[in-house]
Formats: sequence, structure tokens, C-alpha cells
Amino acid sequence: MSDPTVAEGWVAAPLTRLKDDARLLSGVLLYPSGRAVGQFGFSNAADVMSICALTSAINASSGELGRQLDGKPFVEMHHAGAERQVFMARASAGAQEFLFVGVFDRESSFGVVEIYFAEFQKALEKLHPQKQVKSAGPSGDFEGELNRSLDALFGPIGDR
Amino acid sequence: MKALAQVVGSLSHVPGVVAAMVVGATDGLIVETSPILAGSLGGADTRKHTAALAAYLYSKVTRASDAARLGTPAFMRLEAERGHIFVVGARDVVLVTIVTPDANQGRVRLEMMNAAREKS
Repeated sequence: MSDPTVAEGWVAAPLTRLKDDARLLSGVLLYPSGRAVGQFGFSNAADVMSICALTSAINASSGELGRQLDGKPFVEMHHAGAERQVFMARASAGAQEFLFVGVFDRESSFGVVEIYFAEFQKALEKLHPQKQVKSAGPSGDFEGELNRSLDALFGPIGDR
Repeated sequence: MKALAQVVGSLSHVPGVVAAMVVGATDGLIVETSPILAGSLGGADTRKHTAALAAYLYSKVTRASDAARLGTPAFMRLEAERGHIFVVGARDVVLVTIVTPDANQGRVRLEMMNAAREKS
């Protein structure tokens, strides 16, 4: 299983630990705007781009659904497929919020992923992003932000 | 079939049992749990961690037992410095107990095996 590739070095250690402890097959840490911060398990930038866009959209819609139903956004989502399962949750470092999406199979379990993600959240809370994002909301340049983060993870398009 | 609350209730009353839990075998989530015995283990409530990791470990032990052609494990006992973790499979759940070092292990084992049989 490959080590994480990161656009911001400070997430490398906690992301590696989460991957190993929770026995995740793949995962992406991203800003709620869809900009990737780190990933593991993917070799293709297009896959990460799709996952970031979908996770960002799912977070927005599930957050709103939570607000409508429960008065506050949902913080965690789990989907159990026949072979693989998807876990999605929020974490924060300083004032900055992040989203994490991870995939696991029968080599792990939802309970194990949950407890190690809680440790990941605690580890992240103690760290500070290298680049503080000025606004938690989208910048309006979704595609540009996504492409810049993918360049950082996989190299510029011509070099991939 | 005994209700799950009854299973953890009766297991938690066996002397030396610090906590008894019924845990999902595949997801490692607590289905039913007793409170932690007052004054035991000290500090944070680790039942959620114990449940998830014990269920995970039991699934690996099942594979090891299968690989060795021994069949399904009947009982798993993990001995640690300050006590034991006992695990018994009962179809889609596992029964997990956290036990003090001075407990009557034979009795805890018997009660867990009976509970698992009744659960199945």
C-alpha cells in the first residue's frame, strides 16, 4: 500500500497513521471547497478530482439535510457496500475545517475506522495548517483550486 | 433467545467482570453494554475501543483457526498485565468481557459459553 502524497506536509504523519491503523484502502483529506490536501491509495489524479468534487457536494447536501432534519449538520457518513465501505467525516485543525473520505473492506471494520479516525481528529487538532484559508466558504474558483491541489499531489498535468 | 440486555446484565454480575458487551461481529459496534464496574480500570471509558478491537481481533483469530484447519474458535482469551479480555462468537455478534486478573476465569468462560449458546 502506497504512502500518502500530500499537498501540505503537516498532514503526512497523521494521514499515514490513520491509513495504517484503520487499514484503509484509500482516502482523501480535503478542504470543504473540494481542494485536496492529501491522499493515499490513488494513482490517478482524475479519480481524486472526482472524489473531491463528490465529497464536497455530499458534505454540502448532507450538511443541509442535517440542518433541516436535526437543526445541525451531520458530521459523519457511512455507506456499507457489498465488498467495500465508505466512511466520510469532518476534522479540524485550528479554525480550519477539513473533510475526510476513506474506503475500507473486510480487512477492517466500521468500529475500527471510527476509533482511529477519532485519534486522527485529535492529532489534527493539535496541528496547524501551513496555509490558513481565509474563508471557510468556496472561493468561487472551484476548478482552479482543485487543479492546483491535484498538481501538488500528482505533479503538473504534462508530468503525470 | 435471551434479550441482549439480559445477556450483558447477567454476565456483568459474574464476579470479576468489569464490563460485558454484545458487539457486532463485522462492524465492531456496541449493540448492548453493561456499565463499567465502578473503581475498575480508572480513567476514560474505553468500552468503544475495546469492543471494536476485540471484534476485529476475533475475526482475525477465526481466520487463523480456519487456516490451521481447526474450525471455528470456541473461545478467545487475551491475557494482559492488568486483566483479561474474553471473546465468544455467537453468529452475527460477539460477546466481549473485560475481566480482572483475580476473577474466576472458569466461571466467566462457562457463563459466556452458555450465553453464546442461548444467543445462537
